[in-house]
Amino acid sequence: MKDKRMTMFNFVRGAAAILISLAVGTVFIFLTFALVGGKSFGDCFKSTGEALRYMLVGPLVKKSGSFNSMGMLQVLAAMIPITFTGLATCVMFSANQFNLAGEGSVMAGGFVAALVAIYLPMASGLHAVVCVLIAAIVCGLIMYIPAILKVKLGASEMVTSLMMNYVIMYVVLHFLNSAFADRSKGSTQTFPFLETAKIAEIIPNGSKLSWGFVVAMVFVVLTGLFMYRTRWGYSIRMIGINQSFAKYSGMKVGGTIILSQVLGGALSGMGGAIEMLGRFNTFLWKELPGYGWTGVTIAILAKNNPLMVPLAAFFLAYLNKGCSLMSTYCDVPSEMIDIIQAAIFLFFAAEQFLSGYRQKLVVKNTRADLLKTAEGRKA
Amino acid sequence: MENTNTNYVIQMKGITKVYPNGIAANQNVDFAVKEGEIHALMGENGAGKSTLMKMLFGLEQPTEGEILVRGEKVHLSSPTVAIAHGIGMVHQHFMLVPSLTVAENIVLGMAPTKGIFVDYKKAVEITETYAQKYNLHVDANAKVMDIPVGMKQKVEILKALVRGAKILILDEPTAVLTTQETTELFRELVHLKEQGYTIIFISHKLKEIKEITDRMTILRGGRSMGVYNTADTSEQDISRLMVGRDVILNVQKDQAQPTDIVLKVKDLEYTNEWNRKMLDKVSFAVRKGEILGIAGVEGNGQSELVQMLFNLNQPEGGTAEVNGKNILGVDQNKIRAMGVSLIPEDRMTYGIAATGTIEENVISDRSEKKQFNNGPLFNMKALHAESDRLVKEYQVLCKSAQQQVGMLSGGNIQKVVVAREFSSDPVLIIADQPTRGIDVGATEFIRKKLVELSRAGAAVLLVSADLNEVIELSDSLVVFYGGKISAYFEDTSAINDEIMGEYMLGLKHQSEEEIRRVCHEG
Repeated sequence: MKDKRMTMFNFVRGAAAILISLAVGTVFIFLTFALVGGKSFGDCFKSTGEALRYMLVGPLVKKSGSFNSMGMLQVLAAMIPITFTGLATCVMFSANQFNLAGEGSVMAGGFVAALVAIYLPMASGLHAVVCVLIAAIVCGLIMYIPAILKVKLGASEMVTSLMMNYVIMYVVLHFLNSAFADRSKGSTQTFPFLETAKIAEIIPNGSKLSWGFVVAMVFVVLTGLFMYRTRWGYSIRMIGINQSFAKYSGMKVGGTIILSQVLGGALSGMGGAIEMLGRFNTFLWKELPGYGWTGVTIAILAKNNPLMVPLAAFFLAYLNKGCSLMSTYCDVPSEMIDIIQAAIFLFFAAEQFLSGYRQKLVVKNTRADLLKTAEGRKA
Repeated sequence: MENTNTNYVIQMKGITKVYPNGIAANQNVDFAVKEGEIHALMGENGAGKSTLMKMLFGLEQPTEGEILVRGEKVHLSSPTVAIAHGIGMVHQHFMLVPSLTVAENIVLGMAPTKGIFVDYKKAVEITETYAQKYNLHVDANAKVMDIPVGMKQKVEILKALVRGAKILILDEPTAVLTTQETTELFRELVHLKEQGYTIIFISHKLKEIKEITDRMTILRGGRSMGVYNTADTSEQDISRLMVGRDVILNVQKDQAQPTDIVLKVKDLEYTNEWNRKMLDKVSFAVRKGEILGIAGVEGNGQSELVQMLFNLNQPEGGTAEVNGKNILGVDQNKIRAMGVSLIPEDRMTYGIAATGTIEENVISDRSEKKQFNNGPLFNMKALHAESDRLVKEYQVLCKSAQQQVGMLSGGNIQKVVVAREFSSDPVLIIADQPTRGIDVGATEFIRKKLVELSRAGAAVLLVSADLNEVIELSDSLVVFYGGKISAYFEDTSAINDEIMGEYMLGLKHQSEEEIRRVCHEG
């Protein structure tokens, strides 16, 4: 009963955080209309309502009132890379390693997969798998750098990994420009991928919902198993809770810290590779794609529990889609999603948010428990 | 009845405190202290003494109930407010800045100034005036890190007095003191009482309470068991009120039959970061089937020794071997594989992962073992069986092994640590302050287990600041003073507190030959 109440509280707290964040977003949307000028007060309200409709139910319901199946498929498709980066962040944060190079790993993974997809002809089916695996290995090796610096020299992985994102980006851009660019094209991009390497859509309708989605869900389960049902995941979590305890218990602390970050890199790289082969025909990222940052948000929303990652990823993908619909059809800048995300973040991360209410619940629970034990003693 | 009596300086009425983790530390507790008395607050660890006092010092807020100071209802929202009402507290763990001098520590936060600079001369003057007045002699110019524990405590008391405290709360003040230092402290407390100060004395040591206090309030399980005049209450009565049964604190043990040497330490040396020699050529040996105790005032090298033996720190020189194999600088998993177990002094830092479950905590040294794994996956059934077995065997009070360890009381947390360390078939058990700050029931349980394991053939190295504990449990013992062994007693049955105190304070020192016998060479 106690746990049920607490679960309920956590749910209410999450919902309250989201509602307040949306309220903050609404105020900003209203302000964008009101400040542009030329509109009456009533019109502003109307436009705000319209914008909110697009943002909140747009991905689900078309303007005509019918089910927006394409919108939903696109939301699911958008979950693919951020599910991977979310999982990667969960693994690294569980070990108390605030490695932020998931972002760079996505780009590196996409680039490596693209090169394999272009230059290494292979049988259909096998080709995509090899592309993704090689990307995962390369990104795992990349993450070895901040990990080993942390373990051997005590360099903060947060700083090194953050800086490394830019190193990765410029290295990729350098090779793209100097060696692999298709000069016949107007913009800087590689040659097209071989058909054998592409990851097909589950339903071929242009929604970009590829089989990568299935792979992502499989990895959610695998990562969950790894973290909660294996000795390595156990070590990662214990090190995250108390590193001194782990060392004293005889766990291989250094090795496990490295393992968590290498796995994080591999998962992020996989996400980048699958996104690249499932959505595009050619490598054309010219800046960091942003999935790594979203992965951090997801891990925090999911409280580092891999099994909660799909929910968090769905929520963010949905919000993203809603905001892009809103900015397409109403005059609201698409940056609005960043404002709302930041607000959600703030309330989720704020330990003291609704703590007074929580304390009341705790007192109530404890009273009930004490009463029960007292009755038990009497009987 | 109490309401009409204006003699009370402090009245706490119907105090209930529920912590955010759901622990009800105090339930409807009444507590009242008369002006100018020494009032004991007694109870086992986890009985709610510290919580009650934290509320009186403004560190915690009561969930329910009211606090009256001199008959006036007050809201003690912070220590600053409490101090303004004349309430001062000396914590169990000293809150001093080690790198500052005694005088600087005493005036910290209210320092006399000359222009923009601290008037250090004035600070020394203040310190010395107060020291003189209250007969609390301290060296105003010494750095806090260089002074002994007893003096640190005096500094803490002076700190509270300088800030105008009329009511002093002392949280287990004798836990870190030697017999001699305790006697001195008691003299000083009586002196303070004569000058009209009120003292609240938290402790669970029966003898001290009998010696120094006028009245006492006993807490058990967060509830008040009543207020008593100390003179009219026997030690047995107090003990019964505290734990609800008569506790036999004398552990029965057979004569030790020590055989081969298990742990052999030779010329171990270590200098700490402040350039103090913490271990100075320490040599001793522990044999199979015996308990070797290490007594001594804390800070004389005991903690450092244990850290070296479990590779939590690196010595400068010397050797340490278990059954002939080196253990210095060896990974903990290899040390554990040799059969060495450690009950760490600081259980919250090393002993447990507080937000992990009991199960996750008891398997931390054996998660890699074959019996708990099916290929890459954990064998959850085996893990549950193991943790359930240990919870039962070591009498950990909990709902299930899936409960968070951090939610348990201190004694039960220690039982979790002990369950893990004792259940791995150790050949050498290093027990560093194994019963510090835990309740009588858990203490008794852990001591019995320790004796049981040593008689079954384990070598035990027991480090404890609790004199009664080392003398009672150990078969033979050494005394640490200033990073050296100052005495070795082959038979503990012949020694008493008085003799031990002299060696612990460095007043006496045995000869090299006498001490060398603990190496059991030749």
